[in-house]
Amino acid sequence: MDKNKAQVMPNQKVLLVDDEPEFTQVLAQRMQSRGVDVDTATSGHEALEKVKGSSYDAVILDLFMPEMDGIQTLQHLLAESPDLQVILLTAHATLPTCVEAIKLGAMDFLVKPAEIHQLMERIQRAKANKVLLVQKQVEEKIKSILETRWG
Amino acid sequence: MNEDAPDRLREDLAFCGLIAADVSHELRNVLSVIGEYAGLLDDLIGLAEQGKPADYAKLRKLSANIARQVKRGTETMERFSRFAHAADGQTSGFDLAALVENLAALLQGRVSLAGCRLEAELPAQSLPVRGDPFALQHLVFLSIQWVLDSLEKGESVRVKLLPQGPAAVICVSGPAAGGGADRVRQQVAAAAGGCQGTIETAWANGILSLTITLPIH
Repeated sequence: MDKNKAQVMPNQKVLLVDDEPEFTQVLAQRMQSRGVDVDTATSGHEALEKVKGSSYDAVILDLFMPEMDGIQTLQHLLAESPDLQVILLTAHATLPTCVEAIKLGAMDFLVKPAEIHQLMERIQRAKANKVLLVQKQVEEKIKSILETRWG
Repeated sequence: MNEDAPDRLREDLAFCGLIAADVSHELRNVLSVIGEYAGLLDDLIGLAEQGKPADYAKLRKLSANIARQVKRGTETMERFSRFAHAADGQTSGFDLAALVENLAALLQGRVSLAGCRLEAELPAQSLPVRGDPFALQHLVFLSIQWVLDSLEKGESVRVKLLPQGPAAVICVSGPAAGGGADRVRQQVAAAAGGCQGTIETAWANGILSLTITLPIH
């Protein structure tokens, strides 16, 4: 089976951030046909506003954008939502920049043009990471309650 | 041998590298969009194979969008080619208006990434001048970079080219807090040595400007 035709993934919500509107539009359309709920933003500022208002399983973020670049946007996004899973999708995969981004908390990166199945795999992984994080938070909360009650 | 030659060569190479990197980024974006359209076409073919009737209007639109991106990429390559050929060596004369227009177009992406705008005011007619077109490109680039380094986001670099009697004048200006990078001034002065003209820098009323005057051939 063509790996690009597989992977229908309902119940995934993703924010796609890129200053190239046509790229964003077409990629969003392709992801939506695979069952992903996609919001788009064409700047770091717009991305920050959308993250404040919604809960996303993953943010797909271009590295090179005007005004606020991908690294700055990443830092602001994670400050706003520390558990956010951010995947860098960039035409400029200079290794030091990508390493910096991973150290700052990005989940992964892909070089444009990335195949849709690669992107969908990363989104699936982002969702799994998020579920694990939520589970961990719940466990810690339960542990804290138990310790408070019974020492 | 000129002791400054290795430094000059390195700066010229760095300039070429910068423009090449910008062109590379733009073309990668073009190819990414074309790649997504190709993927979308593949998705539509997949649906047709599953029995969904083909939407010919959509396919025609898809085809037109791909053609538009190819045109965008071709234009970028043509501009890059014109830039590269300026290094072919000194010529008996070249069109200054075409050279500045081409360079301004190539630098739009870089200026935009800095959160600023590049506004070019150019004459409709050609302006033939003599000299080293590559050195002049480098000089205009340094001027734009110098002003850009002083700008806040949202502000504009203005490039104005106009004939003034027997001369052509290029003025690069923009609002600035004041002062300037001495090193850039030295680079500008060094690059100006390759051009047959005069160069003046000024800062007045919050506007930083650099004026290059060349005799029209």
